[in-house]
Amino acid sequence: MNMPEWLSKKENYIPQADKDTFINKSIMSLLNILSRIRNTNACTAEGFHISAVLKVAFTFLLIVLISVSRSSEFIIIVIVYLISVLSSMKAYQIIKTLKVSFLISVFTIILLLPSAFLGNYYSIFMITPKVFATITAVNILSYSTSWNSITNALKVFFVPDIFILVLDITIKYIFLLGDFSLNMLYSLKLRSVGRNTSKYMSLSGIAGTMFIKSREMAEEMYSAMECRGFTGEYRAARKILFSLADIIYIIINILLIFVFCYFSVI
Amino acid sequence: MIEIINVSYAYEGRTALSDITVSISRGEAVALMGPNGSGKSTLLKLINGIVSPDSGTYKFDKEEITQKRLRNTKFSKLFHQKIGFVFQNSDTQLFCANVYDEIAFGPRQMGMGEREVEARVNDCLSLLNIESLKDRQPYHLSGGEKRKLAIACVLSMNPDVLVLDEPMNGLDPRTQRWLVEFLTELNKAGKTLITSTHNLELVQEISSRAVLFDEDHKIAADTNTKKLLENIDLLKKVNLIDEYYHRHEGNEHSHYHIHNYGHKP
Repeated sequence: MNMPEWLSKKENYIPQADKDTFINKSIMSLLNILSRIRNTNACTAEGFHISAVLKVAFTFLLIVLISVSRSSEFIIIVIVYLISVLSSMKAYQIIKTLKVSFLISVFTIILLLPSAFLGNYYSIFMITPKVFATITAVNILSYSTSWNSITNALKVFFVPDIFILVLDITIKYIFLLGDFSLNMLYSLKLRSVGRNTSKYMSLSGIAGTMFIKSREMAEEMYSAMECRGFTGEYRAARKILFSLADIIYIIINILLIFVFCYFSVI
Repeated sequence: MIEIINVSYAYEGRTALSDITVSISRGEAVALMGPNGSGKSTLLKLINGIVSPDSGTYKFDKEEITQKRLRNTKFSKLFHQKIGFVFQNSDTQLFCANVYDEIAFGPRQMGMGEREVEARVNDCLSLLNIESLKDRQPYHLSGGEKRKLAIACVLSMNPDVLVLDEPMNGLDPRTQRWLVEFLTELNKAGKTLITSTHNLELVQEISSRAVLFDEDHKIAADTNTKKLLENIDLLKKVNLIDEYYHRHEGNEHSHYHIHNYGHKP
């Protein structure tokens, strides 16, 4: 095996400065998505141990109650309840949830400002807290329940099993392909040792490879499913075991329904 | 050349490296061994600056490598030129339209003229015996061809250190043998080699020194590769080998079994 001469010599190379912001930002955003998927799975193990079915059902009900309520007292009670639930979560989850809730509330205020200028103060004082409560409720559900448990819980709402399977597979492949593209971006970063005048060409190459990879994975998975006897029908197993935490959660939510009815009547 | 001092690293609370101290000199051929999930790949990522230690120090050529230091693009590019990383999954490393462009990617960025780039690409193609693939699309190649191409596109940048993550995985025995000889020649040419592997049959040929990780993500041994392979108790303790009951010519017996490691009855 004859080694070329340049390979035995030390490379005398002084790199030129170049901007890698786009690659770095893409890496960071992919890392965030993958970490979010991993964390939602970890959360359920450490969380409140409340059945995902109950969480999905009552979160949906709570959103409906918030939307139809005309009582500011009820909305305030719901916000207090949600914030007390939020306070038992991890610091980074509290920060992220409140950040999103406040940001969207501010955006809602901006949208409602013209109506406030025309004298309709009611909407700004009612809709903004409603938006805040809804976003907080959804984020609490999202952070305290794994995505797979949420899709399984959809069975209660008579969502077809095959749709649940497709959702599960989608989540799985977001993670797998996300991890694959993250490694491709790492590779591009490690091989970008100089001035790359055609960064977007490299990125389109990554996108193309991802497309081919996802097609290959889909074909392989379909073949594997066929080999395991898949004929287009799928039954999702649902097993609900009530724990003490579930019963407390149900009681709290029934109380909230009573509060809603009470303030609706008076 | 590479100094890793008391380095620990965790992925979202899960320990991957625990108080690792290891130093590698220029021209060495070091193998990282250990069971799955013991931290070998994380250490390779750390050496390449993909992840930074939570605690401890990583120095390359006496310069500390930190995220802050790597934000300086000139420093980062020079650092990445000096260390070439061959990923475990070659698919993640190939993103150009054809084999020629893939190998030329690094040299072109290094500001070489097109004639010099062509010479370097041709050298790499003939060195890895893949001249016939020059105009092929990387995603249509076989596993072995992709691995050769991944090595070629890293070699074309002429790095001082070559880091390989499980290079033997998924290769047929003939290509494995070829790769062993190739890595040996590269090491003779002065390249520092850091290889993570499970292949205990070939590890002795591609490394003179082995660093063994245990399941607690710590270094269980850092010694001569031959000596390490003879230390059956230690290999068993870290769960790299197991006791294997089987039958030879009607004679049932057991002995320690090392995956991919040849044995005589």
